[in-house]
Amino acid sequence: MSGIRVPVISQIVSLAIKKGSGDMSPFVRKAAALAIPKCYRLDPNTSPQLLEYLSALLGDKQYYVAGAAVKAFMEICPERIDLVHKHYRSLVKKLVDMDEWSQLATLRLMSIYSRKCFPKRTRRVRKTNGVQAFYEDEEEGEEEETVEVVQVLDPDLELLLKSIKPLLQSRNSAVVVAVARCYVNLATPEYISTAIGPLIALLRGPQDIQHIALYNIVSVCITRPEEFVKYASHFLVHSTDPPQIWELKLELLTLIFPHCDAHIKSLILNELEHFSRSSDQELVREALGAIGRCAQSDARTSARCLRLLLNQITSLDGNLVAESLTVIRHLIQQDPGSHTNTVIRLAKNLDTATNSRARATIIWLIGEFAGINGENNIAPDVLRILAKGFADEAEQVKLQIVLLAAKVYLHHLNRSDVSIEVKKPTSTVPHDHLPIEGFAEMDESNNLDPSQQPEPEHPIASLWNYILLLARYDTSYDLRDRTRLYKTLLAVPSSTQLASLMLLAPKPAPHTPSPSESRTGFTLGSASLVVGGDGGLHGLRGYEALPKWIEAGKEPDPSLRESDTTKLEYNEKRVIPAGDRLDSAIKDSGLSSSPSKTNGVGAGGKKKTLDDWLAEDEVEEEDNNVDEDEDDEDEDDEDEDDEDESEGSDDESSDVSEEEGEDSDDDNEHDRLVK
Amino acid sequence: MDGAIEALYIYDEHNKPLLTHTYTSRPLTASQLLPLYLEHPVPRPNLIYLPNTSPPTLLFNLTHSNLLFFITSSSEIEPLLALEFLHRVIDILEEFVGTPLLAQKIEGNYEIVAQLLNEMCDAGSVSTTEPNALRDLVEVEGFLGKLLGGINIPGKPGFTSNSSTSGMSGISSAGTLTANTPALPWRRANVRHTSNELYVDLVETLSVTLAPSGRPLAAFANGTIAFTSKVSGVPDIILNLSTRSGQQNFNHVMELPVFHPCVRLARWREKPGEISFIPPDGRFVLAGYEVDLLPFTNGKSGTNASNLKLPVNIEVKTSLGLTGSDFEVRLFIMKVSGQGNSSLSGSSSRSSSQVGGLGRASSGFSGGLGGSGGNSTTPILEDLVVTIPLPGDVRNLSEIKASRGDTTYNPGEKNLEWHLPAKDASTGGATLRCTVVGPLSDDNFDGNGFRLDGYYEEDTYQLAPVKAIKTMDGTDEQKDLKKVALNKILMPSSANVSFAVKGWLASGIKVDSIIIDTRKSRGLGDGVKPYRGVKYLTLSRGGVEIRC
Repeated sequence: MSGIRVPVISQIVSLAIKKGSGDMSPFVRKAAALAIPKCYRLDPNTSPQLLEYLSALLGDKQYYVAGAAVKAFMEICPERIDLVHKHYRSLVKKLVDMDEWSQLATLRLMSIYSRKCFPKRTRRVRKTNGVQAFYEDEEEGEEEETVEVVQVLDPDLELLLKSIKPLLQSRNSAVVVAVARCYVNLATPEYISTAIGPLIALLRGPQDIQHIALYNIVSVCITRPEEFVKYASHFLVHSTDPPQIWELKLELLTLIFPHCDAHIKSLILNELEHFSRSSDQELVREALGAIGRCAQSDARTSARCLRLLLNQITSLDGNLVAESLTVIRHLIQQDPGSHTNTVIRLAKNLDTATNSRARATIIWLIGEFAGINGENNIAPDVLRILAKGFADEAEQVKLQIVLLAAKVYLHHLNRSDVSIEVKKPTSTVPHDHLPIEGFAEMDESNNLDPSQQPEPEHPIASLWNYILLLARYDTSYDLRDRTRLYKTLLAVPSSTQLASLMLLAPKPAPHTPSPSESRTGFTLGSASLVVGGDGGLHGLRGYEALPKWIEAGKEPDPSLRESDTTKLEYNEKRVIPAGDRLDSAIKDSGLSSSPSKTNGVGAGGKKKTLDDWLAEDEVEEEDNNVDEDEDDEDEDDEDEDDEDESEGSDDESSDVSEEEGEDSDDDNEHDRLVK
Repeated sequence: MDGAIEALYIYDEHNKPLLTHTYTSRPLTASQLLPLYLEHPVPRPNLIYLPNTSPPTLLFNLTHSNLLFFITSSSEIEPLLALEFLHRVIDILEEFVGTPLLAQKIEGNYEIVAQLLNEMCDAGSVSTTEPNALRDLVEVEGFLGKLLGGINIPGKPGFTSNSSTSGMSGISSAGTLTANTPALPWRRANVRHTSNELYVDLVETLSVTLAPSGRPLAAFANGTIAFTSKVSGVPDIILNLSTRSGQQNFNHVMELPVFHPCVRLARWREKPGEISFIPPDGRFVLAGYEVDLLPFTNGKSGTNASNLKLPVNIEVKTSLGLTGSDFEVRLFIMKVSGQGNSSLSGSSSRSSSQVGGLGRASSGFSGGLGGSGGNSTTPILEDLVVTIPLPGDVRNLSEIKASRGDTTYNPGEKNLEWHLPAKDASTGGATLRCTVVGPLSDDNFDGNGFRLDGYYEEDTYQLAPVKAIKTMDGTDEQKDLKKVALNKILMPSSANVSFAVKGWLASGIKVDSIIIDTRKSRGLGDGVKPYRGVKYLTLSRGGVEIRC
């Protein structure tokens, strides 16, 4: 009936839900719970009543009723976590028995709830370096403690984490990911590592599940790649995988790469190399990019990666060559100092490389290295050889040749400036010989005439003029324009500052991040994670990130979760009037089937009369006033009980022996290591 | 945060809208969605975000037996939830309407489908997806109803008396059984069968990657335990599994298991290999697991390739012949020994020891298949297909010579399939030799060859002790090397083998015993000894891949 979308009947529906929620049969109660969101959609004004019913249903003894109630709760009022407090433990215990879809809703609720209700003790020690003075105190207190104490979780949170562990073996992939999300966001590393195996197990599923699961795996893997190493062979790409999947698999391989041992590393590299020869251009690009990322992430193997890439440039496949050169260029730019020989090797390949993109890249690289080693550089010679075949090159390459010429000439000018200043005389002769030597070493195949006649003009200068001449009569506007630009820049040999600024500016080393890094902000298991940036900066409509960890001292009192009767008026935001609570309590105890929302297993163990309940409530409310005052101290006390003395020493520096001071130093160091 | 499934669409094989089921809000119509879906290039991802619709919509899609299934949601939703739900919908439709799922069947049984969809998802949140529970809730009439009813003989109160909307009352009043026990959401109340049967199907899907040398790089068997239970009452079943090395370190063999919710996980943790559960009625997937067939290679440069025993060995040689335009695929079909656990049939063999003994005694020669299928004494290799994807530049295969079996060249999909029917797939070798023809104009070759990926000889896998590719090249050196290099571009880079072996499991896992715990089960008459059968099947759907 609740499916009828007529607002007028909302009151009737609400009444029916009320009746239904008190029904004997759990199935009726479940149906009532499911009807709540529909009624809410029908008429939002009914929400106070509905909340009331919901709060009763949340504590239902039957797991399927509670599950449905949680679903309804998430739908109409996910922000009202105050309703959950008293049912927290029972819900956590029922979680395993619920059906998969309720489990999902409950896990979602629990991760939000835990963030809001359990202050983060673990990371406070590691990460927040004195964000607030309040924390600083504590931090120092905790630094004295051992590591185990640091990782203590709230017992209630631990209850949750433990109880959802069996769900990792669920057949429903969504549940597995939801548990993993809980662990990643709430738990300590030990828990997270237990979740990784099951995540990998999702890869057995059909392709669509595999695809989504891979997104989640990547997102976990970015933060904790070490754990995935042993599953490396799961990420090998099959020839039948569609692009979305191999893309993610390749990314995973690169992510875990720096953490592997030598054997797996070679496996991964071989894998990447294999795919770099595939006939699919996209795949080739991804694979080579992946090799590049591997080289970036691990300096020791970068030589091997580079060798691998260099092998590719002799290939006949222009696309492959061009892609691998782009990657090589990135690598070289990151560490220019150690790659001079690589550039020479690349220069040799100019003879054979036919792809214009590849040639252009090589020439550009040579240009970048033109200034190294003073006069003993290959750049002028390369330029000389290139000048011969200038007319036959593609425009792209011609542009680079002109640029190279400009750079070489500029270096030449700069050098001669210096040498002129030092001693005016004839520096031309050594200039002639050294490059020739360098060239002879570099490349024999170009049948260089070793007995190059020294000319009246310096060869570099004449080369420059020659190139200018060639470019001037080229057919391309762009080329002619640029040539003119360079020509005027370098027209006055004495003032090269401007030209140096333009041509020799240090280039920032490109960093190629892992493609999925942009999405790491999104919560695990959400659709926004999969859609990524397309969904907008803040995710899809309706996407909400998990709330931040609540600050210590602001969390609701743990005693709220003790049992159903402790309904402390803790924060101002709790808005249920006392009457409502009374009502619901009466209803609870009126339910013949399930009055007991005690701590869980002992079903029906603890029955209270209304009088008892009222009495208790009063007492606790009185207590509460006191609690509130002490609240902040409570937190600290727990942590600092033992360290009161040392704490004092840090803050007030009174009567503490030096030994203790050293101790704390050690601990500090230790902590830094942990960080 | 709580996204709702807004609507479900089904299209038939011609992309004609077949069914639209709206759960909540006002989603797009089926005809609006389809062009948006089709404009994505193939292969389409399963989750498509449509930012230009109003409101922006998430489109989950799945193709199953030529039908196209869509689910839409306009707000954040857990994508796996939606996809899992879609899978469940398909499973359940198949169960109720019958496999294979055809457009006509859905149209013909629209009233059932509508009821099912209504029950499975309530106003956008998924509710009941257990087939057993749905069977109670949904009325199946007419011929199909009789068919389904025929399977599950009479006396099903939930079946006949319940209306589709309020089946709950029917269940709760269904008798003492449900009232005093915690109701099992996955099992129907009051199941009755005249013939009590239990079947276990162990199906393993292979996923093996081989280096060109034939050395395995990775080998996994993804196992599924499918269980069919047709037993009256509420049986409590214990299924004992064992591996080749016996019960110990079972956890290391069977990795990362996932279970149906009916399995008692605590029991599994205490005693790996023992699955204790109360089954739903009918067929269901009890568990899934994974077996690493190369357990020791990780971390070591292992030499134990012999650990992996496949029924088929494959070797691909490329760049053969004068111009290097030939390639050759060699298959070696091996004999695999049976699982050694024939049917557990017979009401006499009730005790586990007896059954186990029987199984062990028969191991080596009998790989019989309990219930159905070929009753041969040795495992049979079936459906052996080698698929060789070819590079895009291959224009034709001018010559295909296979020593056995048939070959099909699909120019559209750019692959070559080599079928070896069961009668041909006897033990021994088989070869296939093909000649590729590249693009017509030679200019393409001699130009800068932008689209071609040629490769000079480089060691693909340094780990590989032998290089098969290199052998021919040495002799061809005096030939036109360039041509060889260019033809190399046209060589396939991998080959996939598909097959099915009945009666054999790659992991060597076998069922020791199926015991019905009489103390815990109820409703099963005394002296009723259900028939029990075990089936083993190893599948490879292109899962064995060799690189070359």
